[in-house]
Amino acid sequence: MVMTRGRGRGMRGGMMRPMGPGPHFGPKMKQFVPRLPFDMVLCESAFPRVKPAPDESAFTQALLKRNADLSPTPAEQAAVLNLVTKIQAVMDNLIVDPGNFDACVSSQIEEVRQVGSYKKGTMMTGHNVADIVVILKTLPTKEAVEALGKKVCDDLRSQEPQEVLVLTMLPNDRGFEISNSEATVRVLVTTIHQNLRKLDPELHLDQKILQSHLAAIRHSRWFEENAHHSTIKVLIRLLRDLRGRFEGFEPLSPWMLDLLAHYAILNNPSRQALPINSAFRRCLQLLAAGLFLPGSAGISDPCEGGNIRVHTAMTLEQQDLVCLTAQTLLRVLSHGGYKQILGLEGNSSIASEMSVWDGVVVSALEKAYEKPPERPPQDDDTDNMDADDDPMETTDN
Amino acid sequence: MQQTSQPAATVAAVKTTGNTWQTFKKPGTMQGKTQKPKAPPKPQQLHYCDVCKISCAGPQTYREHLEGQKHKKKEAAAKAGPTPSRHGASLRCELCDVTCTGADAYAAHIRGAKHQKVVKLHQKLGKPIPSTDPVVVGGTTKTSTTTAGATVGAKTTTSGAAATTGTLTAADGKKDDLKDDLLDLKEKDVEPVGQEYIEEIKNEEGKVISFNCKLCECRFNDPNAKEMHMKGRRHRLQYKKKVNPELVVEVKPSLRQRKVQEEKLRRQQLREEMWRRREEERLLEEEERWYWEERRRYEEECEYLDWCRRYPRGPPGPPPMMPPGMPRPPFMPGMPPMMPMRRPDSSDDRHVLAKHAEIYPKEEELGAIQKIVSNTEKALKMVSDYLAEVDAPKEQQVKPKAKKEKEDDSKGEDDKKDGEKKEDGPPRMLKGVMRVGILAKGLLLRGDTNVQLVVLCGDKPTRTLLDRVADNLPKQLAVVAMEDKYDIQRVVEEAALVVQNIGEQRISVNVTLTSPIMREQLLHDGDSQVIAAKDPPDVLDKQKCLDALAALRHAKWFQARANGLQSCVMVIRILRDLCQRVPTWGPLNSWAMELMCEKVIASAGQHLSPGDALRRVFEALASGLLLPGSPGLLDPCEKDPIDAASPLSAQEREDITASAQHALRLIAFRQIHKVLGMDPIPPPKFQRGGRFTRKRRRDNSTGEGNDSEGELDGGDGKKDKKEDGEDSKMDMDKETK
Repeated sequence: MVMTRGRGRGMRGGMMRPMGPGPHFGPKMKQFVPRLPFDMVLCESAFPRVKPAPDESAFTQALLKRNADLSPTPAEQAAVLNLVTKIQAVMDNLIVDPGNFDACVSSQIEEVRQVGSYKKGTMMTGHNVADIVVILKTLPTKEAVEALGKKVCDDLRSQEPQEVLVLTMLPNDRGFEISNSEATVRVLVTTIHQNLRKLDPELHLDQKILQSHLAAIRHSRWFEENAHHSTIKVLIRLLRDLRGRFEGFEPLSPWMLDLLAHYAILNNPSRQALPINSAFRRCLQLLAAGLFLPGSAGISDPCEGGNIRVHTAMTLEQQDLVCLTAQTLLRVLSHGGYKQILGLEGNSSIASEMSVWDGVVVSALEKAYEKPPERPPQDDDTDNMDADDDPMETTDN
Repeated sequence: MQQTSQPAATVAAVKTTGNTWQTFKKPGTMQGKTQKPKAPPKPQQLHYCDVCKISCAGPQTYREHLEGQKHKKKEAAAKAGPTPSRHGASLRCELCDVTCTGADAYAAHIRGAKHQKVVKLHQKLGKPIPSTDPVVVGGTTKTSTTTAGATVGAKTTTSGAAATTGTLTAADGKKDDLKDDLLDLKEKDVEPVGQEYIEEIKNEEGKVISFNCKLCECRFNDPNAKEMHMKGRRHRLQYKKKVNPELVVEVKPSLRQRKVQEEKLRRQQLREEMWRRREEERLLEEEERWYWEERRRYEEECEYLDWCRRYPRGPPGPPPMMPPGMPRPPFMPGMPPMMPMRRPDSSDDRHVLAKHAEIYPKEEELGAIQKIVSNTEKALKMVSDYLAEVDAPKEQQVKPKAKKEKEDDSKGEDDKKDGEKKEDGPPRMLKGVMRVGILAKGLLLRGDTNVQLVVLCGDKPTRTLLDRVADNLPKQLAVVAMEDKYDIQRVVEEAALVVQNIGEQRISVNVTLTSPIMREQLLHDGDSQVIAAKDPPDVLDKQKCLDALAALRHAKWFQARANGLQSCVMVIRILRDLCQRVPTWGPLNSWAMELMCEKVIASAGQHLSPGDALRRVFEALASGLLLPGSPGLLDPCEKDPIDAASPLSAQEREDITASAQHALRLIAFRQIHKVLGMDPIPPPKFQRGGRFTRKRRRDNSTGEGNDSEGELDGGDGKKDKKEDGEDSKMDMDKETK
């Protein structure tokens, strides 16, 4: 039922839901390509500079300093690396020699992969958590996850009995965490693709969770291939920090931030990486110009088929919130408030309250989104908007 | 895989069991049958039923047993031969006539109390005790052990223990086969699976009292049973289903199961069939809709073409905006199409179009403005002639020039401007009159009553000149338009005079005097000091004159760049309205606004519908186009790099940006009417069709996109505009020479 509804809306092409790859529509059905918002970097040639660009070396220095503050210390990195290596070794053993493991736990490991900020090199200090995804050949039951956790932990303990290890189950049974005094490794469980169809919500982990773990693998692979530029990593760290400090950016997922950073740095006419100060400002400019609003082409997920725009995972209300936060911060930034934005001074109230910069009053913005009223069945508008609302699922029918 | 192999497997199983029944089992059962009548007459302390392998306490109970249902059933079963096993292979305890599904089950049986009881009984009776080795039934069944056991038993009736060994040796020949079978079974059985799903239930003392299998949802108390359960088929199936789909579970469909399976398959096929049919229907419907849509469009296009043919001048919708024969092309290029607009695109587009129609001036207004402007232009031309005539005697070469001018005039009264232009040289003080500002750009809105003309002078305009023009103009105006009364005022500080009509609707035309020489002097400042020194004492305000020249360049730029750009003029009109309506936007001067709109819309690199174009302008402002640190709006009409928006203060920039940011989100969230200051437009009534049109129209926006504001341009408007552009270009060329 839901499926058909979504489909129907998509067909209208009203908002930008790209059509699923339906073979039956033939050449008649052209796809409506949603528009990218105004992007100064892409149309620089139309806007020649009236006066030379202001000197931004102080801003750049502040960005680099903030990045240095946010990056994990060598000790932290070593601690995580150490724990990850050990766990990876234990898991590899289980793959190579499933025999003894199999006897007590009936799940078999297909593959173990490191993902997330640890793998991408975008970890933040004070958050010493590495993510590992374990793909099981078997169907992931809650018991299997538990048993695997116990087994891995036992093996680790038998290797180094003096180390204090804590095993915690993650909520929703998505996996488990093994931590020592300095670092934590989060092991996320999923299963091979073929098994996804065979899942029973009563017995196994939630399919959405499993899929998100598989997606995490694709993400880290994509990242490795496309976004290894170190400016991107610096920018991601800065954006994550921004997200942590400004409530309005809460709805942005790490993956959205990764893509946004990559887009802001590499998507320019010369295809050369932009310097960090321009890229940071561009992120705010893009968000402020509505890159992640309904009607915008946004950024389509490179790891999913069917042109899914990443921002559709947010609700409309969240899209509004993210946009208005970026808009306010952009104005603060252009009036010289970079220290407050980077968290070097002041607090996050600049995003929600009036502030004064050099005699210029910068006011916060109001929400624009309104919940559609009880919608009459024929109301095209709100309907259309809704179509934008529900996240991607319906697209891949 | 499973489904295909299943029937074959069962058939094979049935066949083999059938065979055994015919070949081997028969003698066995016959023997049992023949034994039975013998057994009862034997006077023994124990009444033993051979069929059921039980002893009865007395003759009475024995008789009752023989008449009982249980016995009869067994008897019937024995007659029919061993019940064909449902499994591919199973183990049978001959002694108790019990069939077990696996080696473990068999072992459990042998250990079990019931079996022990029967063994004891048989020993007591001195009956033969068959080997504890199981008999494999089904598959490659070798039931011959039965016969062997029986014969051996007949020979050695005395000792049960000996009988056992005897059977063993006798059955030796078959033993290898049997072992193979057992191995087979064992292999198939493999290890127990899913131990972690079996919960141990403990009592208060912590002793395990029972087990609960979470996969199969069953309980048992015996640890042996637990072992067996884990190897059991049912458990394995559950395990396969719930844990490891790759686990191999041998197939064993009973008749009922098979039926269920078939039923399931049939239903699935039915369902698929239904879906397929539904899909087909949907496609057909789709196809049909496309067809009608296509058809409708085609008809619409035909209709339009017909119309154009019938009214070659263009659609009659907007009546001619100026009296025929006017030299000037339409002064409102990019009229909103009154044409049968094909259904407008998105809701945004519909709102923008509706708003545009609302702010676009009425025909009467346009007519009135047109009238006073053209009258003023004609009168100025005559003033120019008059001044030339008055000044002529001073100069000798005037006469041929004047003649030439007359020729021009005879060519056509309306061509007066051309005439003026061709007539160069110093004698003429007033070289030409040009429209600038909203008048030239076609940006008039409803309620606009103030328009601008610029008169180019041969030399620096002086107060004297202004007076002379102002003195003569009323006379000429009276000649041009006898029935109209005009009021003329001098505004020396503005370097202008104002012509106003006297009527209920006051329209004023500002006529500014200027000269290209004013700018030339500015451009090459170094060597022009000499000229500057020569300035007449009563020269008019320099800045006003320069502004007028800039206005001329702006008009020229506008016609060259903005007019041709799709949706651009419409968006500029909408923004003009916004600047007038909303105080925050007031400080944004119109030149900066026009420049910005053009750059922003042109830089999209694709055709934009009016709604999209407006949104893009707000996007650009929202992303900080006006904020400090942005590149700024480089004025293309100035020699030095100048920001067209430079008059804006930092606070004004900030406020406009914040307002645009809010507006952008309003547009994104379907509240564009709030931005435009209008009521929301309900969606079109014909939703179905509307949907499709919209879709299609968006798709094709590149192809036919112009129709929103361009239908007119496409008709007669465009040509005129071009000429218009050339006209002014020529003027400009002159002026800068």
